[in-house]
Amino acid sequence: MLPAPENAVWFDGQSARRQAVLVEVSPDGRALRFGGQVWPVDRLRQIEGAGLVLALLVADGDDELPHDPARLVLDEGPMAGWVRGNAAHLARRDVQRGTGVKIAVRVGLAAVALAAILFVLLPRISDRLADQLPLDQEVAFGQAVIGQIEGFLGGDRPLTCDAPEGLVALEKMERRLTEGQGLRYDIELRVFDHEMLNAFAAPGGQVVIIRGLLDAADTAEEVAGVLAHEIGHVEARDPTRLAFRSAGSAGILALVLGDVTGGTVIGLLGDHILSASYTRDAEAKADAFAFGLLQRTGIGTEGLAAFFERISGMGADVPEILATHPASGNRAEAARGAGGAAERPVLTDSEWRALKRICR
Amino acid sequence: MDHPTVSDVPVGPDVKVQYRGDAAKLFPLALGVGVLGLVTFGIYRFWGKARIRRHVWGKMRVGDDALEFTGTGLEMFLGFLMAVVALAIYLAIVQLILFSVGIRFIFDPQSEMEVIAQGVSVALSFVAVLPLLIFAAYRARRYKLARTRFRGIRFGMEKAAGGYVIRALGYLGLTVVSLGLLWPLMTFRLEAYMTDRTWYGGARFRQGGTWTGLYRAYRHVIVGMALVAAAVVLGLMDQGGLAALSGIVGAIWGGIGLILYRVRGFGYLMSHKALEGGLGFRAEPRAGTVVWTYIKGALIVGLLGGVASGVIFSPLGAMMAGVEDAGDLMRVEYAVLGVVMYLLVLTVFGALSLVFISQPVLAHFADSVTVTGIGALDAVRQRVADDGADAEGLADALDMGGAF
Repeated sequence: MLPAPENAVWFDGQSARRQAVLVEVSPDGRALRFGGQVWPVDRLRQIEGAGLVLALLVADGDDELPHDPARLVLDEGPMAGWVRGNAAHLARRDVQRGTGVKIAVRVGLAAVALAAILFVLLPRISDRLADQLPLDQEVAFGQAVIGQIEGFLGGDRPLTCDAPEGLVALEKMERRLTEGQGLRYDIELRVFDHEMLNAFAAPGGQVVIIRGLLDAADTAEEVAGVLAHEIGHVEARDPTRLAFRSAGSAGILALVLGDVTGGTVIGLLGDHILSASYTRDAEAKADAFAFGLLQRTGIGTEGLAAFFERISGMGADVPEILATHPASGNRAEAARGAGGAAERPVLTDSEWRALKRICR
Repeated sequence: MDHPTVSDVPVGPDVKVQYRGDAAKLFPLALGVGVLGLVTFGIYRFWGKARIRRHVWGKMRVGDDALEFTGTGLEMFLGFLMAVVALAIYLAIVQLILFSVGIRFIFDPQSEMEVIAQGVSVALSFVAVLPLLIFAAYRARRYKLARTRFRGIRFGMEKAAGGYVIRALGYLGLTVVSLGLLWPLMTFRLEAYMTDRTWYGGARFRQGGTWTGLYRAYRHVIVGMALVAAAVVLGLMDQGGLAALSGIVGAIWGGIGLILYRVRGFGYLMSHKALEGGLGFRAEPRAGTVVWTYIKGALIVGLLGGVASGVIFSPLGAMMAGVEDAGDLMRVEYAVLGVVMYLLVLTVFGALSLVFISQPVLAHFADSVTVTGIGALDAVRQRVADDGADAEGLADALDMGGAF
C-alpha cells in the first residue's frame, strides 16, 4: 500500500529558495516524484534535522560529501513512515571512496613524522645546543638542577650532608679519582641525606651520591666504582644533553597537555636527571670510562663488579637508575674482566666508617 | 544604470531564530560519545564531536528550516593528525631555542636585568604559541562555516587566517598598551574582519556599526577599572581601608561588567550584521538570563554530578577496604581502576555541563535573534565547496574547541 501524495518542502541545492512541492511515490514503489524530480528510493539518505530530511546519495562529485546538496523535507506522517520502511540506505555513512587508504597514509605519515622528530631531529638539535653551552653557564645550570632535585627529594629540608670527617673522606676519594686525570670538569662531589639507593651526575661536573647507596655499599671501592661511572657521564656531557633533550620533548608533551608556560620542562628536568634515562650507548661508554679510570688510579674494578652483583641480587627493589642500566649481571662480569683488585685501598677503615656516617 | 539592481529593502516577514534543544536527547548522546572517547583513549572524540554538532545544528532553526552540519569525525581526525605533526616541529624547536637562551636566567637570575630577562623568556614561550592559537581560532570558525548548511546552501569564510593573526596581534597589543580601554576596538575590528569574509552561498555578510558603538556594552568594565585605578591611587596616598574597598568593589563591578560586555556586545554586533540582498538581524540577549542560566546550570550539574560520582565511586570504596592485605599487583589494579573511575566522573560532568549549561546558554543567545528580510534568501545561489578548510585540527591540538 503506497502512501497518498503529501506536501513537502524542497531545496534544490542551487538556490536558497524554499520550494513547496507535492511528493508522491511512483507506482512501482521505487522512487519519490516531486516537482519534476525523480529520486530513487534506494539512493535516499537521511540527514539529521526536524521531520525527515532526505538527500540523494551520489557516486562522486566535488562536494565535500558524496551526497547531493539538494534536500527534501518531509513532515512526520505516512509518507515519512513509508520512506523509513522502504529506503534501504537511509543510514548510509557518508564516506568518500578511497578513504581507508587515505587514513592509513595519514596515520602512517603522522607516526613517522613524530618518530623522526622525537628520535632524530630533537636529539640532533639538542646535542648541538648542549655542545655550544659555555662552561660557566653549564655549571650554574647544574647547580640549579641539583637545587631542584634537592627540593624534590627533601622538600624544604637541605639535604647536603656535612659531617666534617665524612667530608674529609669524600674529598680524599674525589682526589684519588680525579687528580692527574686531565678531566674537562672540576668534579664537585656531595652526599644527599635520603634513603634512596642512587647516584647521579648533573650538568657541569656535579656528582651526587644519595645516602642509600652508602648504606648499601660494603667497601669504599664500590662507591668509588659508581663515582667513576658517573664521572664518565660528566665527561661525556651526558647530563647536559639529557637536559636539552627533555626540554625538547617536554615541548611536545606540553602540546599534548596544553601547558605552554614551560612549567613542564622545568618539572620534568629534575625527574629525568634523577632517573637518568641515558641511552644504552651512553651507559656502555660511561662503563668503559669507569673501567679505564679505575685501573689508572689503581682502585681496580673489583669494587664496581661487587656493587653490580649486589644490586642485581636485589631484584625488584633496585632503583630505576640502576635497573634501566644494561643487565647488571653482565656488567659485573664486564667489570671483573676489565681489571683486577685494588692496588691500595681508596680509604682507610676509619675513613670509610666516617664516610658512611657523613649524614649524621 | 540600466541593469536591474538588487533591492536592499527587506522583503518578507520577520522570522525568529529558535534553538529547540532537548536535554533528554542530548545527554545520552553526550555521555555515550564521552564514554566511547574514554575507551578509545580519546581517538573517538572527533567522531563524537561530529555527532554532537550534527545533533545541535539540527536543533537550530531559522523560521521553519534547520541548520545542518556536514562535517565528519574522520576529516577532523585527519586534520588533527596533520596539525599535531606541524605543531610538534614548531613547538619542539621554539621550546629548545627558548630553553637554550633562557637557561642562563631561568634558574639563577644574577641581577635585576636577568630577572627581567627571565620574565621575558617565560612570556616569550607563551607568545610563541599565541599566533598559533589565533590562527587556529580563525581556521576553526572557517571549518565550522564551511560545514554548515541552511536550506541546502553552504556557508563559507575566505582563506585569510594569516591576515587575521597579524591584525589580532596588533589590536591585542593596542588593548594591552591602553590598559584595556581599546578592547572594544579589537572586538569590533576582528569580528568585522571575519564577518566581511563570511558568505552564505553566493551572498556576502557585512558587519555594520562602529567600534565606538560597543562602548555602551563596555561601560561597566570601565567603571570597574576606574575603581581599581582609584584603589591604586588611594593605596599610594596611604588610605588603606578605602583602597581595599574600592579595589574589591571595582573587581566585582568589572567582573559583572565583563559578562554584560559579552552578552550586549554579541547583541550589538549581531544586530549590525547584514547579508547582501537586505537580510538583517536583530538580537536582544539578556545578561541577567545568561547569568541565571549559568547559576541554575551549575547547581543542576553539581547535584546530578555529585550523585553520579557517589554511584561510581562507592563500589570502589567498598573494594578498597580489603586492599590493605592485597599484594602489589592488586594495588596497581585498584589504582588503575581509580583513575578510570575518575575519568568517568569527569566525562559525566562534561556531559552534564554541555546539556545543562552550554546548551541553555546557546539556546538563549539563539532565541534572542530575529531575522529580518528573509525574502532575500530566494536570490541566494550555491557556492562551490571550500577545499582546504582543514577540519580545525590545529584548534583541536591546542585544545580550544569551545563547547560545541
